[in-house]
Amino acid sequence: MVESKQQWKAWVYLLPCLVLLAIFTVWPIINTVRMAFLDGYSGLKEAGGETFSIGVANFVKVIQYKRFLQCLKTTMLLCLITVPVSTFLALLISVALNSIKFLQKPLQTIFFLPYVTNSIAIGMVFAAMFNIVGSFYGTENEIVVTAGIVNNVIEFFGGTRVNWINYGSTYFANMTVMVIYIVWNALPFKILILLSGLQSINKQYYEAAKVDGSSKSRIFWRITVPLLGPMLAYVIITGFIGGFKEYTSIVGIFGASMGPAHDAKRLNTMVGFIYDALATNQQGRASAAAIILFGIILVVTLINLRVSNKKVHY
Amino acid sequence: MAEIKTMQEKDMNDVTSKQRVAKIIGKILIYLFLAVMAVIVLFPFYWMINSSLKSLDEYRLSMPTFWPRHILWTNYRDAFTTAQLGRLFLNTLYVGVVSTLLSLVITVLSAFAFARLEFKGKNVLFAGLLATMMIPGELFTITNYATVTTFGWINTYTVLIVPFLVSIFYIYLLRQNFLQIPDELYLAAKVDGTSDLKYLWTVMIPLSLPTLISITILKMMGAWNSYIWPQLVANDEAHRLITNGLRNAFKEASGDINYPVQMAAVALVSAPLFLVFVFLRKYIMKGVSRSGIKG
Amino acid sequence: MKMKKLAAMLLAGMMVIGLLAGCGSNTDPTSAPTKPVESQQTPESTAAPVKETNFKVPTGGYDGSAVTIRFYHNMSQDKQDLLKEYIAEFNKTYPNITVDFTSTVMGSYDDIRDQIKTEINVGSQPNIAYCYPDHVALYNMAKATVQLDGLIESTESDGAGGQLGLTDAQIADFIGGYYEAGASFGDGLMYTMPFSKSTEVLYYNKTFFDANGLSVPKTWDEMKALCEKIKQIDPNCIPLGYDSESNWFITMCEQYKSPYTSATGDHYLFNNETNRAFVKEFNDWYNKGYLTTQGLYGAYTSGLFTTDKDPHSYMSIGSSAGATYQRPAKGDDGKYPFEVGIAMIPQVDPAAPKVISQGPDVCIFLKDNPQEVIASWLLVKYLTTNSDFQAEFAASSGYVPVLKSAKENAFYAEKLANADGYDNIAFLSAKICLEQADAYYVSPAFNGSSTARDQVAALMKKCLVLTSDIDNQIEAAFEEAVEECEYSE
Repeated sequence: MVESKQQWKAWVYLLPCLVLLAIFTVWPIINTVRMAFLDGYSGLKEAGGETFSIGVANFVKVIQYKRFLQCLKTTMLLCLITVPVSTFLALLISVALNSIKFLQKPLQTIFFLPYVTNSIAIGMVFAAMFNIVGSFYGTENEIVVTAGIVNNVIEFFGGTRVNWINYGSTYFANMTVMVIYIVWNALPFKILILLSGLQSINKQYYEAAKVDGSSKSRIFWRITVPLLGPMLAYVIITGFIGGFKEYTSIVGIFGASMGPAHDAKRLNTMVGFIYDALATNQQGRASAAAIILFGIILVVTLINLRVSNKKVHY
Repeated sequence: MAEIKTMQEKDMNDVTSKQRVAKIIGKILIYLFLAVMAVIVLFPFYWMINSSLKSLDEYRLSMPTFWPRHILWTNYRDAFTTAQLGRLFLNTLYVGVVSTLLSLVITVLSAFAFARLEFKGKNVLFAGLLATMMIPGELFTITNYATVTTFGWINTYTVLIVPFLVSIFYIYLLRQNFLQIPDELYLAAKVDGTSDLKYLWTVMIPLSLPTLISITILKMMGAWNSYIWPQLVANDEAHRLITNGLRNAFKEASGDINYPVQMAAVALVSAPLFLVFVFLRKYIMKGVSRSGIKG
Repeated sequence: MKMKKLAAMLLAGMMVIGLLAGCGSNTDPTSAPTKPVESQQTPESTAAPVKETNFKVPTGGYDGSAVTIRFYHNMSQDKQDLLKEYIAEFNKTYPNITVDFTSTVMGSYDDIRDQIKTEINVGSQPNIAYCYPDHVALYNMAKATVQLDGLIESTESDGAGGQLGLTDAQIADFIGGYYEAGASFGDGLMYTMPFSKSTEVLYYNKTFFDANGLSVPKTWDEMKALCEKIKQIDPNCIPLGYDSESNWFITMCEQYKSPYTSATGDHYLFNNETNRAFVKEFNDWYNKGYLTTQGLYGAYTSGLFTTDKDPHSYMSIGSSAGATYQRPAKGDDGKYPFEVGIAMIPQVDPAAPKVISQGPDVCIFLKDNPQEVIASWLLVKYLTTNSDFQAEFAASSGYVPVLKSAKENAFYAEKLANADGYDNIAFLSAKICLEQADAYYVSPAFNGSSTARDQVAALMKKCLVLTSDIDNQIEAAFEEAVEECEYSE
């Protein structure tokens, strides 16, 4: 009896959520699948009265794209590097913030500050930081007007200038910039989540550990990390999902060409590919790519859950 | 014997002083680390202010200046007058507050159902919801645009609020938090005859306050930064939101954007948000200290 | 245990979505045919003397009915104020036509395109919009814009005692290249009317040129010799900055009369010997340090031109509408450090000059109510053929009017007469543009023409910086660009 009452109640609680999801999420997904399986589907052409036959031509076209594997590689690399790095850094900052008393509050505010800095400003700053203004690199005519703030710092410490994002730059340099930018972007959110997690850990655990005479690193790995488990799992899973959708950050640094001047599209990602397809009104192709991306993310998330379920104590 | 004893004492003194030094060095390292990270994090903020005080000519220089040659406070005045900031601000505030409140209600109810209630198909449903997070949202735009047009919602506040009320992110986050609250509390409340809603209100919500506040901040920031959707569906003067207004307001005669004035406007609209944030940070602390049972 | 459960949950979730997917594709064949299929014009009908268009002017022309028309644009506030004045004037003749031009003001031309692209899917597009030819090619995938020929040639009533169409005198008043651009869509029909225009011009440091006895280059050969000379005078300089790589490539094609793209048949024709040859030539220039572009330089090349520090450039090719950015900032003495001169860009054949035509056109969208289309046309006609509006709009924007008679507007004429390389640089630029009225060209517009622009810009950047194995690399770059264009089809 109680069981069925709970059933009924649960659905009432979920009703607003489910109705909205049905309209604004499920229906678009159905429509996406429809578009993916209509050969060469284009919304504008449909509006113009054209019809499309059912098939898998869109998927074939996506996989045939000669830079498809490169898109996949860049996406994967960005994910695999930025998620661990940003999570670890956020964890370090959160633990450090949690361990100090003096200046704790102002510092906390500072680390949340990027939230109130508009994204327009952030994109412009990062481009200015790494951009070399000049021409003719590697020839006798080389002219450098300004090497960018990061290079100024490197040269100040006696290093040599690195060509980060301009023409002639290497894939490695490009990716380094992207990793820095993405990690920077991801930090405040992760710090917010992890810090609120840390502060809800009962102090008694630490006191008990101190009595036991456990070392700091032991306390960190044996108490802090496990108790933060759910928060860490959340931050990592959402980090991966966000990482697979990386696109706007690359546009922010490299512009719509998604690569340095001598090799446009070099840093294109899966979502970048989807945008390109949408921009040329190939909604069918874009949908097919989205479904492929969805499949990849699903697999990775499953792996993530598998790992975190082994480690996390709920 | 005595000699040995003093040796030992000396050693022990050494150890404690070494420990003390190590502790101090550790603290210094922590502060150093935090300071370096803080500088990195603050840089764009500084750059925003720096840019907002430059002339357009100076802004366009190949070699960026780290401090404006001539400080142009007038950019702030221009920002306020040309963009009708007041109206944009009120619109954004209204949309932000209403959508945050409604979103919190929906999120709390759903997370409660997933965390505490047993019903058929719960796990399948939850996995299904998680799976929807994995599809790039850009693909939804066209279909959703068609939907809201059919509903006749174009150029209303509704269209800015309703389609994004549900966030699986938030439900997931809050569910995780709810799961940490021991079942015993719930069962005890049941025995006492407390209703679910009352239990939710008096026990679970206070215990999850930090998470709820995080959600509030994220949601408000969303209203502040949303661009593509509002541009598409509610770009009339009455409903225009702040980012859309800022993007379009500061065009020069030649069609170029006057970035310094735009930055000034960005700084202006960030200020109230910043204050709210400082206020909420204290609240996070409070919420945390109240939640005695954890882990 | 938990892990297995979660894995099962996720798999189940996937299956749910898969199931939905099945439904989606199943329902389609039934729903697709129910869509109304617009009647297609038969190709034979083009043989008729009066062009068959997708909009037939109803007998009687404008019947005075009350309609509201929406106009999408991205004008800045001062220009909107001007527009408002003239719309008030327009409403004295047509009190029943309400023009909504304030509710949707966009940031950029691309924003307008994206908005309308989405709106067309549900049929909620505006009546009139600022557009570039590429955008119209896109809208026409949905057959959404009005073929204007029927309206232009119409002798029906305009509801105010005149004829709906354009008179011969009105057509003759348009600057030829601007007007003809409306028919660059491969079928010979008019889709757009010119609204306000700009082109590329050569800005040069007149003070430096005069001091060193240099003369402004008229051809690319002269340009090369000049760059060499300037490099000798100031070795640590970049003589020339070119802002837009794509404009450069397309303009060179046009100047060499070498194929770039075609609106019909095989679209991407730019991989040919002439084009590879000029790209190779400019690669040589780049390697000699003669020039740079915005993409390679990493900032606006106008910054290099106007800077008061080394290195300098002494010439800059950029939009005529951006003249104020090509002027150096005043020094502390309140004077400009140098005078800016403006000239036509260098040519392959100075006897048949070619410069690109840029700036917004306007197009009209099809609507169920023909009176809405006619009302839209009346407004478009009013704004594009009114020389006072054109003159004042140009004066406030730095763009060029599309009518020859705009020069006679007293206000504008005075501005042009006082044009100089200092405070009135925008009018100097306008003056130069008006003088080269016969040189304007537009490239063909089709679905894919914007991809072609992006690709040739990337190609140009890639090839300019080559230092070894140049011929093979250029060839490969051209092939790749064509391949990318064809893939995006």
